[in-house]
Amino acid sequence: MDFELSEDQHALVSALQAILEDHSQIPQSARFDSHWCDTDLQAQLEDMGFLDAAREIGGLEGALVVYETARVIGAVETIGRGLVAPIACPGLELSGPVALARRDGLHLAIRNLPIARMLLIEDGADVLVLDLADGVVEPVETILAYPYGRFAAPPVLDDARRFVGAGEAMRKWWRVGLAAEIAGAASAAIDFTVDYVRTRKAFGRPIGAFQSVQHRLVQRHGYAKAAYYLAMRAAWSGTASDAQVAACHAQSGLKELLFDLHQFNGGMGMTNEHLLHFWIYRARALQAEAGGPTRAALAIAAARWDDGLSEPEERHLSMARS
Amino acid sequence: MLEELQRLEPFRAEVRGWLAANLPSDWRRRMLGASEADHVAFQEWWFGKLMAAGYGAPHWPAEWGGSGFSFAQQIVLYEEIARAGAPRLIHYFVALHHVPGTLLHWGTHAQRERHLPAVLSGKEIWCQGFSEPNAGSDLASLRTRAVRDGDHYVVNGQKTWSSNAHHAQFCLLLARTDPAASKSRGISYFILDMKTPGITLRPIKQMTGASHFNEIFLDDVRIPAENLVGPENEGWKVAQSTLSSERGLSILELAERMKQGFALLLADARVPGPDGVPYDDAETRRRLVDIHVRIEALRVLVNNQLGAVLRGEALGVAPSIVKLYYSDLLRDFTRLGASIRGIESQHLEDVLMGGPNETGYWMQDYLYSWAWTISGGSSEIQRNIIAERGLGLPREPAAA
Repeated sequence: MDFELSEDQHALVSALQAILEDHSQIPQSARFDSHWCDTDLQAQLEDMGFLDAAREIGGLEGALVVYETARVIGAVETIGRGLVAPIACPGLELSGPVALARRDGLHLAIRNLPIARMLLIEDGADVLVLDLADGVVEPVETILAYPYGRFAAPPVLDDARRFVGAGEAMRKWWRVGLAAEIAGAASAAIDFTVDYVRTRKAFGRPIGAFQSVQHRLVQRHGYAKAAYYLAMRAAWSGTASDAQVAACHAQSGLKELLFDLHQFNGGMGMTNEHLLHFWIYRARALQAEAGGPTRAALAIAAARWDDGLSEPEERHLSMARS
Repeated sequence: MLEELQRLEPFRAEVRGWLAANLPSDWRRRMLGASEADHVAFQEWWFGKLMAAGYGAPHWPAEWGGSGFSFAQQIVLYEEIARAGAPRLIHYFVALHHVPGTLLHWGTHAQRERHLPAVLSGKEIWCQGFSEPNAGSDLASLRTRAVRDGDHYVVNGQKTWSSNAHHAQFCLLLARTDPAASKSRGISYFILDMKTPGITLRPIKQMTGASHFNEIFLDDVRIPAENLVGPENEGWKVAQSTLSSERGLSILELAERMKQGFALLLADARVPGPDGVPYDDAETRRRLVDIHVRIEALRVLVNNQLGAVLRGEALGVAPSIVKLYYSDLLRDFTRLGASIRGIESQHLEDVLMGGPNETGYWMQDYLYSWAWTISGGSSEIQRNIIAERGLGLPREPAAA
């Protein structure tokens, strides 16, 4: 299988990139903030139907929207609204950002909760859908790149709609979305750093001319490329195991990515005056939500090998899935 | 790519059926610790079987005795050969890939007539005479000299890391014909008959205990001028054809073999050596998953390279990304195998001749994995290529 996009997918991505280009600058007022929600872009994506791509076209198209939007500097909510909710909860009417949480995590700070109209709650085999009334959420100040909030009081779930049997789909597409968004943030952070090391000079030459910098950037580039392809494969195949692999891989390379990119951006990379943190903290937040690479790895081990049997036979056309 | 491969399902079934009927189930036992002579005979026998079935030279044009398979057919064939765990045709690698890749582009008709049918007969093993003791990654600095003397060139110098030269009848040789020209100019490309007087071979014993590669000493070796390939002093260009002659199929085969090797690693992990790390240990499981996930990443990277070939697109730095990814992964993979076996893996075991890079003799596999980050363009060279041509970073200034 390879991920050469079809003509329609190319058209979707090109149209989306044209819009994203208009959102490549951060307003001066938000320049030094730890995060900035691009509400205009969020509304545009909603109005123009990009967040309905997963439902109307397919999971791969939904994942492409997640990946591409993760590359811009302003945060938008795409995983819940654009991927998880439309696929896991067919028929659910959607409008505006959707936050995601686990039933046992409702007391925690939840990503995107302050801007969300709706919360999807993974509840074992099922999914609960909770409409969010004004005033039930209080914002939580963090340095992570998204708005976080928690419930002012434990939410009452009696009125929540239950999607019976949707739990597995929610877990799966949540993982796909996290993998795609991490891959997008990682690739944008690498591009930003490549631009920086091309122009920043030391000892009379761009620091990107030193192999000590080049070689580490190449390693990170390889990681980000593989993360993208694995996320797209998972979105295409829709299997739980591909989603686990994609989410695990996306998280596994982050430690080196963060270290190297900060290192190559020098002291400026540690400041809010530089833009690097917008993507780096985004990746960190997504990794935290995904549970971390070790937990992801142990979950894969449990899913694949605890039956005491050998590695399952790969489907015959594994190579040819496309 | 999917549709193209789906159409080939009958072909896949045919190949799979042929392998099931013809691959000796005991070949691993027979080749474990086999003598060089037995290994040569076995490789020749297996290559002959493949040729008779039309699977030995799938990428060769039909007019030169190959199957003329489409690239998609080649993908299917290589996948099935890897999945069946068939022996690798390591003695014929240069002959099957580099020789046609070079001669079909640059060779004379006489050179093709003389050598291409002979390769497919299985009677000609070829080796490569490129690297030198002081010209490895910086290949263009090679110093072996070839001086024209009437209708011959007289060659003096030393080559190294020449795999299977001790079995080879012919060698693809690079030598400097114009010492005044700048590095990559002034090199010429020759076919060298390994029986020519003046050639001395010295097999190099590797840290695995095996001796796959050799030094070749060349003392007043006379090569007929008709064995020059391509124009004199244009050998560097000819060598680029040699090195780009296989378009991702070998790495596809290796990636698929690695997936098979992972099943072997899991089986070992369940029964670790006496002091090996236990399977239910969380750290071991994490490391196993790390390898599993990276094998999947390798496979998607390989498939994208193959997809680009199928679409007729330029490959750019994709082969470098894949080679770098594979060789890093192979090292970590085999190291984990050695950890799991514990002290048992330190015993020097017999070498599985013609085996994959994950034979299950993990310490040997681990030691040999180091060859992969060095040969065929070291990891550092691959990173330079990706940095400069892929990421567009400035070149590091040349040494003064």
